[in-house]
Amino acid sequence: METFIQVVVNGLMLGGLFAIISIGLTMIFGIIKIVNFAHGEFLMAGMFLTWLFTTKLGLHPYAAVVVVAPALFVLGGVTQKLLIQPLMNARDEHIQIFATVGLSTAMINLALLIYGADIANTPAYGLRTPLEFGPIRVLEGQLFILGAAILLVIGMELFLRRSRTGLAIRAVAQNRTAAQLMGINVNWIYVLSFGLGAACVGMASVLVAPLYPTSSNIGTYFVLIAFVVVILGGWGSIPGAFVGAMVIGLIDSLSGFYIGADLREAVVFGVFLVILILRPSGLFGSKQKLSHIS
Amino acid sequence: MLTLENIHAGYGATTILQDVSLDVQPGEVVTIVGANGAGKTTTLRAIAGQITPTSGHIYFEGRDITKLAAHDVVDLGITMIPEGRQLFPDMTVRDNLLLGAFRSGARSVQNETLDYVLDLFPRVSERLDQMASSLSGGEQQMVAIARGMMAKPRLLMFDEPSLGLAPIIVEQVFEVVKKVAASGATVLIVEQNVFTTLQSADRGYVLENGEIALSDTAEALLSNDHVRRAYLGI
Amino acid sequence: MKHILSLGSPRTASWAAPALLATLAALFITPVVIGDAFVYHVFVTICIFAALSTAWNIVGGFAGQLSLGHAIFYGIGAYAGVILMNMGISPWLGMFVGAAFAALAAVVISYPCFRLHGPFFALATIAFLEVFRVLALHFRDLTGGATGLMIPIKMGWEWMVFRERLPSLIIAFGMLLLCLAVAQWIRSGKLGYYLVATRERESAAKAAGVRTVQVRLIAVAISAALASMVGTFHAMYLTFIEPSSMFSLSFSIQIAMFALIGGIGTVYGPLLGALLLVPLTELARGWLGAEALGLHGFVYGVMLVLAVLFMPNGIMGVLHRYLQKDDEDEETGQTQAAPVAAVPRAEPEHKMGPEILRVENLDKHFGGLHVTKDVSFNLREGEILGMIGPNGAGKTTLFNMLSGFLQPDSGKVTVSDSAGNFSAPVSPADFASIGVGRTFQIVQPFAAMTVEENIMVGAFYRHPDVNDAREAARETAHRMGLGPWLNAEANGLTIGGLKRLEVARVMAMEPRILLLDEVMAGINQTDVRRAIDLMLSIRDTGVSIIAIEHVMQAVMSLSDRVIVLNSGEIVAEGDPQEVVRDPHVIEAYLGKGFADANS
Repeated sequence: METFIQVVVNGLMLGGLFAIISIGLTMIFGIIKIVNFAHGEFLMAGMFLTWLFTTKLGLHPYAAVVVVAPALFVLGGVTQKLLIQPLMNARDEHIQIFATVGLSTAMINLALLIYGADIANTPAYGLRTPLEFGPIRVLEGQLFILGAAILLVIGMELFLRRSRTGLAIRAVAQNRTAAQLMGINVNWIYVLSFGLGAACVGMASVLVAPLYPTSSNIGTYFVLIAFVVVILGGWGSIPGAFVGAMVIGLIDSLSGFYIGADLREAVVFGVFLVILILRPSGLFGSKQKLSHIS
Repeated sequence: MLTLENIHAGYGATTILQDVSLDVQPGEVVTIVGANGAGKTTTLRAIAGQITPTSGHIYFEGRDITKLAAHDVVDLGITMIPEGRQLFPDMTVRDNLLLGAFRSGARSVQNETLDYVLDLFPRVSERLDQMASSLSGGEQQMVAIARGMMAKPRLLMFDEPSLGLAPIIVEQVFEVVKKVAASGATVLIVEQNVFTTLQSADRGYVLENGEIALSDTAEALLSNDHVRRAYLGI
Repeated sequence: MKHILSLGSPRTASWAAPALLATLAALFITPVVIGDAFVYHVFVTICIFAALSTAWNIVGGFAGQLSLGHAIFYGIGAYAGVILMNMGISPWLGMFVGAAFAALAAVVISYPCFRLHGPFFALATIAFLEVFRVLALHFRDLTGGATGLMIPIKMGWEWMVFRERLPSLIIAFGMLLLCLAVAQWIRSGKLGYYLVATRERESAAKAAGVRTVQVRLIAVAISAALASMVGTFHAMYLTFIEPSSMFSLSFSIQIAMFALIGGIGTVYGPLLGALLLVPLTELARGWLGAEALGLHGFVYGVMLVLAVLFMPNGIMGVLHRYLQKDDEDEETGQTQAAPVAAVPRAEPEHKMGPEILRVENLDKHFGGLHVTKDVSFNLREGEILGMIGPNGAGKTTLFNMLSGFLQPDSGKVTVSDSAGNFSAPVSPADFASIGVGRTFQIVQPFAAMTVEENIMVGAFYRHPDVNDAREAARETAHRMGLGPWLNAEANGLTIGGLKRLEVARVMAMEPRILLLDEVMAGINQTDVRRAIDLMLSIRDTGVSIIAIEHVMQAVMSLSDRVIVLNSGEIVAEGDPQEVVRDPHVIEAYLGKGFADANS
């Protein structure tokens, strides 16, 4: 029983991690309707920045957020402005896919060029210390991640629902043409949204860096999980992504323990495919938003 | 107030408008009628800044707005009520209306405007907290017009307000258009529903294959032989 | 995207064939002449990547299904070859076993995924790739797991493994030729037209009788089989395989990337892409060695981004634009001035035959909306039935149910075949095969095709051979007054031209029942009169027509009978002259203005 509880708790902790890396992806998709295949590389870039910040300045990795989040905001905004914007009206979707796939390939290999194949370990500052709650053990950093994920979901929802900019963003997401007719500068909203989504990834990367070694291909692993989470939660839904992340975290943890560590990815992606094919709106998405299937 | 001079416009390689010139005076209700695909909507989209004409000029109150971005055109006080309503489906009617007042000139007085608009559209005020997608077609059209009014526009453009509505609702819509015009706004309507529109307008232009085929007072057009033949099948 | 995606243009430039042959010859002869081992290696690699990319392009380009998991099929071929070789079976045989497995896997994977669009299809293929990789790691007994598999040391043609370089080049080059030949064969035939039509407008393709799922499954199976065969040989060439390099995402991306940079959807684009990029990589790797870890990937990524931004049609697109300048004199002859009159119709004597279509008690709901309420009517052979009613009355929904695009909630549609037996078709393909053709209210041209090619998609329905289909398409085009624009891009037509194209594509299917959805909307007076003549002449050939129309002039002069639909119900039916005087109709549709003006 204790083992089971531990496995479940591990799952929830993983869920927090998956949530925090997925929020930006689902947000960018929900608003701009672009699947950012370079999302994982944004995370990788953020983690390298965190590593640089902590090792060069000797500061706590969490403090890096003041640099990393704005840096990724700019990276995201620039990506939208220079890469996505010119392709927004491309008749063929494959052009947009190749654009971010190309960006992803370039970023992975740029990291490889700069840092080589070695692993960069961000100092943990005690974040890898296990905390014991009776028989249950979790890492301090994992608790921070879960807490931050919850706060980020709530914060983003409040921003989108309560602020005037949030209203404009939702308007653009729901009906681009009409938003333009209201006098909203749609292109600027896109740049802002991509920037915000990337800044969320920036925030995720300072939380993830102390727990996971940084390498050029770290993004590939995380981005696939993020896609799974976002599909499950319904594309564009931030609370959906959170719940989806929890579900995937639990599946990952339970299947890793009960089926076998080497097969848990197959299980996770199997679930992903079943959801994508049978219920493409996700577990919580509404049927009306099925712009991506025929 | 609004002047189009020799406008040519289209999408990609396809030219739709050929040498379209027209003008709208303050306080007038002007209509552009014509068949599907004649270029009526394209004309409105060119004025609204959603497409840039390949040649020609558009002036609004003396200012050249030909190359202005769509949101800047709105800021000047030109509001378009688009074909097919185009509400924000997953927002309440209230949020839809408030978004109507997004432009800088209307934002500060949005609460007063809201009261005024709700007075004009009592049916809308009953639906304020419903999701826009849950309204009927006719109600959605009313909300779309109310949302357009929220911008306190100097020029209000309607794109096919009768599209997809039952005739009885169409009648109500045109009643509202008349009310809007009576409140002093300048109105430009694009319609396929030739007769009803001409009956509520001061002047009209007939657009055929991207060119202005006729322009006259609404009354004169109503009794014009060509109009009767082409648009009524008489 | 326009010109370059066009299918076999009838006027292929004269330089193309010699240039292609010279390129292929150079690809083979250069390493033989130089004789250097490294040069051999570079050229073998070019051939392998070009072959893979050409195979990918059948799905990613022709069919427009962007697979980022094509390494699955490559990997299946590689593992099948090595595993069987370890059991003493020659890779020449293993190659076909792998191809069969790959084709099977492709069909099983793709069938459920085809309902996903663009990025979601790509994501699904990535996920499948991951599953394959994890499974290959897991089943160690079969695949050797993470440690990988070595091929046994057996040399010679029988085993595809050689000490010298030339035989490997011969095989790689042969594989490339095979892939190119298959791609060329697909592109220039019925399958290619069907694939491109499906990619451009799936619903219009369905209406033209294309079984859209089936043709894409055929394409994906062929593509996978080819990729797998290349994979088998590449495994022999590499002598060692492991899951992470066989089922690799970045490898899949590279395959797709060569096609994009060369010119996606063209037969020879992938070859050009590989020809340009592979030497770049291999040379960088050769000169800079391990220091440049990541350099070639970085260059690839940057090239991809630049290509997408500045050269979305790839090298082929640039070549085409450059060479087009020479062609321009020829092209400008085709202006869209005065339309040519359609062939005048025969004498207006016609008699109606027996019932050919029966519609019984159709009901349809969309959510809470009751869009079709208990609609029943029938159509007789040689009849023109006009259908009018306000926007939103349910006319188009009704058409969708009469052509298999929507299933009614209750009620049925039965159609008689040429022998007079009634049956109830279900899918659009069923309706097409029993002779029901339809147009779309919003015109749906296949944008990447010329007018002639658009009509050919319809003509293939009766004429499977390309030349016959082309002949039939031309004839139909002339009949529809589209003769002068046969080689024009469909997108460049005026709205009136597009409406005629829509009708021409259906007419090329030689339907017995024609459903026309507002084909006169938005066209000018002259065109309306011509369209009326055209329709009467179509009817005189024995075709029955149901026409949704707002242009009252047309409705009145064409229809033998008129049905008025309002709020999903038939509110009036009968002789046109009587119907327009019906007070219900005046109230619901025509308006008092019409009545006043008409009186």
